[in-house]
Amino acid sequence: MGKILRVNMTDRTATFEEVPEKYRLMGGRWLTSSITADEVPPTCHPLGPYNKVILAPGIVSGTNAPSSGRISVGGKSPLTGTIKESNAGTPFSQQLARLGIKAIVVEGYPQEKGKFWILHVTRDGAEFLPADAYVGQGLYAAYPALFQRFGKQVAIMGIGVAGEMRMAMAGVCFNDIDGRPSRYSGRGGMGAVLGSKGLKFIVVDETGGPGVPIADPERFREGTRKLSEALRTHAVTKKGGALNSYGTAVLINIMNEAGGLPTRNFSSGYFEGAPKVSGEAIAEGVKKRGGAGKTGHPCHPGCIIQCSNVWPNPDGSELVSVQEYESVWAFGPNCGIDDLDVTGELIRLCNDYGLDTIEAGGTIAVAMEGGLASFGDGKKAIELMHEIGRGTPLGRILGQGAAFTGRALGVVRVPGVKGQNMPAYEPRAVKGIGVTYATNPQGADHTIGYTIAPEILSVGGKADPLTPEGKAELSRNFQIATAFVDSSGYCLFIAFAILDIPEGFEGMVESCAALLGTNWTTEDATRIGKEILKTERAFDQAAGFTRQDDRMPEFMRYEPLPPHNQVWDVPDEALDSVWAF
Amino acid sequence: MLLSGGARPAPGPPLRWKGESVIEIHLYGKLRRFAPKQHPDDLSVVHVPVQEGDTIGRVLERLGVPLEEVGSNIFLNWQYSALSRRVRDGDRLAVFPDDMQLLYRWYFVKVKE
Repeated sequence: MGKILRVNMTDRTATFEEVPEKYRLMGGRWLTSSITADEVPPTCHPLGPYNKVILAPGIVSGTNAPSSGRISVGGKSPLTGTIKESNAGTPFSQQLARLGIKAIVVEGYPQEKGKFWILHVTRDGAEFLPADAYVGQGLYAAYPALFQRFGKQVAIMGIGVAGEMRMAMAGVCFNDIDGRPSRYSGRGGMGAVLGSKGLKFIVVDETGGPGVPIADPERFREGTRKLSEALRTHAVTKKGGALNSYGTAVLINIMNEAGGLPTRNFSSGYFEGAPKVSGEAIAEGVKKRGGAGKTGHPCHPGCIIQCSNVWPNPDGSELVSVQEYESVWAFGPNCGIDDLDVTGELIRLCNDYGLDTIEAGGTIAVAMEGGLASFGDGKKAIELMHEIGRGTPLGRILGQGAAFTGRALGVVRVPGVKGQNMPAYEPRAVKGIGVTYATNPQGADHTIGYTIAPEILSVGGKADPLTPEGKAELSRNFQIATAFVDSSGYCLFIAFAILDIPEGFEGMVESCAALLGTNWTTEDATRIGKEILKTERAFDQAAGFTRQDDRMPEFMRYEPLPPHNQVWDVPDEALDSVWAF
Repeated sequence: MLLSGGARPAPGPPLRWKGESVIEIHLYGKLRRFAPKQHPDDLSVVHVPVQEGDTIGRVLERLGVPLEEVGSNIFLNWQYSALSRRVRDGDRLAVFPDDMQLLYRWYFVKVKE
């Protein structure tokens, strides 16, 4: 049976606790949201003493289940003021799970201001070490130093200077399969909460750990086999498929042709420079430049989709990992920039300073709208990012995110919900995702209602992307199913395969059930998804959020978006009906 | 017919014979080989004459594109579309190959017409 590691930053104690019965079957987002709801006062200040940060591997993380190395980071968000869960794919999740740790709860408040700590977690316990040597340092310098100090076998969670400065766009960084500081639980500013608690790094070493217990190994094998089979045969997830060959940025050209690629701070759905920053251009650049360049790169061992990449400089040396869809879009089309070396440098700066690429790109775009730079000016965008990293007064404003920056600069066109900037799908062109942005409990987010066939969940949902009809039900079902996937430890991208292959979906649920020793069926996945959403919603309501917060920014109602020339026209009643379950 | 090989880049209007109907096709991935310009980080565009009643599938076949290489991500005038959808003069068509499909079909029902 696993343990919960409770880390108190007031007196710097770390204690292992038995897992209460009510959390026994939980993992990932289900667990982070449940602990947050149980232990964090909803009205607390996100950077004050009563907020907590909860880290939890998913249910099957740490096993040989395919593509299952996700970790959830939750708590109350300083960006949105809502409950938050943001997940990443990283060996850190797998190691934590194999050490028998179901969750780490970081709480309390440091006595000494400006002091930061490392928590070193091993089979024998957890100890605090001073992090002074790494304070103010970029993560590209700190991670190799930490691996050298603690050994190549460890996995590392960290915050960058943005987290130290408690910026609302500070992410939580994890190492990738090769030890880079490149896998982020980016959204919602949870890095700032860790900063407020003075916890800079968690170094986890699974050596000698007990591993992940599996209640019914036979059934587990059968479940993971079905899922692997689905992933290996589906056109999107198989080797040589869209994700593996081109990475997630394959979507740049596709969304552009759908008229839904947000361009120049959400003023158009079509970017003329899209082909230059597309998945095809990335694959071609990697092939041509060679050297350190790589496509089909896994973020953690055991991933069979392998959608990540390493982007090389013209001389073949490594610039950054990873040029993925949201990040390339945020700094590319959204800023009017059509150069992969510029998007690559901006992503590298995010990794180094510890920033969420989506919020950072959205903020630069709003800053461009506000006159701090021209759209397309990559040089100036890089300068603005350095302002953030240096923590200049301007950088402190930008570091608080797009909504805060928009206010500072008098910008009306701020494409956010609940203070979180929208990702790379234009809601006026794809109304279903807009309903998800507006109504989910965590602010504008795409992954939270992105997936799982309504067909599999036995409900309708196919509809013209431009009409508002039917979108509430569609979004609701996506949100419910996603909440379960976010708890399983599986990467959300398994959705592509399990949408089309029912055995894959069964296999996914079966593997979770077999590990835990329950009899869950696909219907239980729906039940659990609903429970998670209700828990999160209740937290937000207690924090003061009402349905008036489940709304899109006003400008989208009166600015028609080319090329479809559509405005946001989903009625408020339809948005509210998402929660009628 | 003369025009299919001598395309001009979008978005300029295509050359055409008087009264002839033409659509503009944007090709991606391995389908770029049916356009004069084939670089993966640029536009690969052909202008193709069309006849009354032509569908997307018919036009692609006439261009020599094997339909089994065409994925489900087909957009006519920015709308997710089926091969059976009819085309008209001045339309803009974008076609992605089978190894590049990623779009969430659950958000985009195909316009079949």
